[in-house]
Amino acid sequence: MIEVKRLRKEYDGIVAVDEISFKVEKGEIFALLGPNGAGKTTTIKAILGLINYEGEISIDGMNVRERGKEIKKKIGYLPESVAFYDNLTALQTLQFFAELKGIKDADLMKLLKEVGLEKDANRKVGGFSKGMLQRLGLAQCLLGEPELLILDEPTTGLDAVGAYEVRKKIKELNEGGVTILLSSHILSEVQELSHRVAIMNKGKIIAIDTVENLSKKLEIQPKLRVELQRPSNRIVNLVKEIKSVKDVKVDGNILEISCPPSAKLAIINAIEEAGVKIIDFKTVEPTLEEIFIKMVKEDE
Amino acid sequence: MNEIITIAKKEIMDNWRNKWLIAVSAIFMILTLVISYFGSMGSAGWKDLDTTIGGMIALVQILVPIIGLMLGYATIAGEKEKGSLALLLSYPVSRVEILIGKFLGLGAVLAIANIAGFGVAGIVIGINVKGVQWGDYFTFIFASILLGLVFISISMLFSCIFKKRSTALGGAIFLWFLFTMIWGTILSGILIAKYGLSAMMNENWMAPTWYYIASIMNPISAFSVLVSINVTPISTHLTRYPSFYTTPVTLFILLSWITISLVLAYYIFTKKDL
Ligand SMILES: Nc1ncnc2c1ncn2[C@@H]1O[C@H](COP(=O)(O)OP(=O)(O)OP(=O)(O)O)[C@@H](O)[C@H]1O
Ligand SMILES: [Mg+2]
Repeated sequence: MIEVKRLRKEYDGIVAVDEISFKVEKGEIFALLGPNGAGKTTTIKAILGLINYEGEISIDGMNVRERGKEIKKKIGYLPESVAFYDNLTALQTLQFFAELKGIKDADLMKLLKEVGLEKDANRKVGGFSKGMLQRLGLAQCLLGEPELLILDEPTTGLDAVGAYEVRKKIKELNEGGVTILLSSHILSEVQELSHRVAIMNKGKIIAIDTVENLSKKLEIQPKLRVELQRPSNRIVNLVKEIKSVKDVKVDGNILEISCPPSAKLAIINAIEEAGVKIIDFKTVEPTLEEIFIKMVKEDE
Repeated sequence: MNEIITIAKKEIMDNWRNKWLIAVSAIFMILTLVISYFGSMGSAGWKDLDTTIGGMIALVQILVPIIGLMLGYATIAGEKEKGSLALLLSYPVSRVEILIGKFLGLGAVLAIANIAGFGVAGIVIGINVKGVQWGDYFTFIFASILLGLVFISISMLFSCIFKKRSTALGGAIFLWFLFTMIWGTILSGILIAKYGLSAMMNENWMAPTWYYIASIMNPISAFSVLVSINVTPISTHLTRYPSFYTTPVTLFILLSWITISLVLAYYIFTKKDL
């Protein structure tokens, strides 16, 4: 559906995106994952033809530079920070965008209802909160039932319920056949939603694969953090000897243990049996940073 | 074509809900009402309305450029800064359509304000004065709108050049000073330096041709010449103009300002990253 070849973008000497290539297949949810400044938004803007760039981008075989207008009829876009016209109401805003897409018979109230804004239909957008703007942003990108949705951090600015609803909506749309390209720096979100991920860092793609394959390849697992009253070398060695424990780090009174989830109970039991008092324990999800550190190391 | 109309309509609606249109029309109406009321009171006929029309020309020369600049300065820079331009461009609409749509929409806003303001003045004049030549009056309104379009297009060009709304506003204020004051002052300054004030005071003194050419290049002067030579109350009292001060020349100058500004604006806009 989308094909990006050797895309490069430089802003006043800063290379924002550095010769990246990837494909998004029809029907999949593809995520761009990376920390702030990785180049996710720049990549998305290039795909939409909002910036000048080097390299080639095509959607359904059509060159974005040459046939942008035609291509955009099929696309819904949710920008990173949504902005509309302050003096128009929510309904007028949707009317304006529907007209631009050449949609005549859209049920705009139904669309507003879907994103929970039916009561605010006749309020001026200028008075909307960040979350309400995000919701209206979502409504506008669904206008005309696009084949391709490009969502730049779709859940930012939303409360927990709103974010959950958006994720659900994304899945539903995808099940209905919509191809989705999204960006995020929240690992769990990407893990939950996407079929394939491109991990970006400093303008480069450092890995592209399915989420499972990436986790497997990198052996990224949640860690168990156990706070002890008095840790000792004996106890560290004891834990290390437990089968399937990969690594133990000591940080003050805390042991940070890398292990598969199934080993957790055995570890806790072993510590207790050794007569050492456990103050607290919890599981820590791997952070994006860890993945990057690991990826960059593997790169070298 | 449909996209252009959609964008123009949105621009009108935005300015209407913004109360801009209402405020500007009201200012126009009040000022023209005052000028036309006092000016037309003692008139015996259309032909001796020169002070009234003169007053309205002065009003247009100051007010219309301000309105044009204020309407246009934020149109690209402001929308870019806010982020709505990126969203707009993700729709099936090209950059040239956005520029033209905005130009037409803002032009319509300015035209509505002009027509409302001078319409009221027209009614007052119609009540007080006999033998009003409405053709002349429409020429005057038409010329005012044309002047407004010049300033909308120039400010749209500045809006494409500058990155931020605030710098674009600074640019617009500078343009206003340039065209209303600096331009004329510099030209007079050169004349005085070259010929001396005393020689210029002589009744038979005529400025050199280059001066007249440079003067009429200023869209505000082109407007005032256009009105002066076409509207009877002024043209009957007309001071000396060089022979090339004609209707086609003034129209050509005004239309060139519009075209050149918009073409440059388009050229810059296409190279812009959002
Ligand atoms: N308009 C611009 N002018 C100058 N530099 C820019 C511009 N837009 C982006 N950059 C730079 O390009 C790099 C990539 O930015 P980009 O917005 O693509 O990152 P991102 O991955 O979307 O980050 P975030 O998670 O913060 O949204 C950054 O170093 C940024 O400073
Ligand atoms: Mg971003």
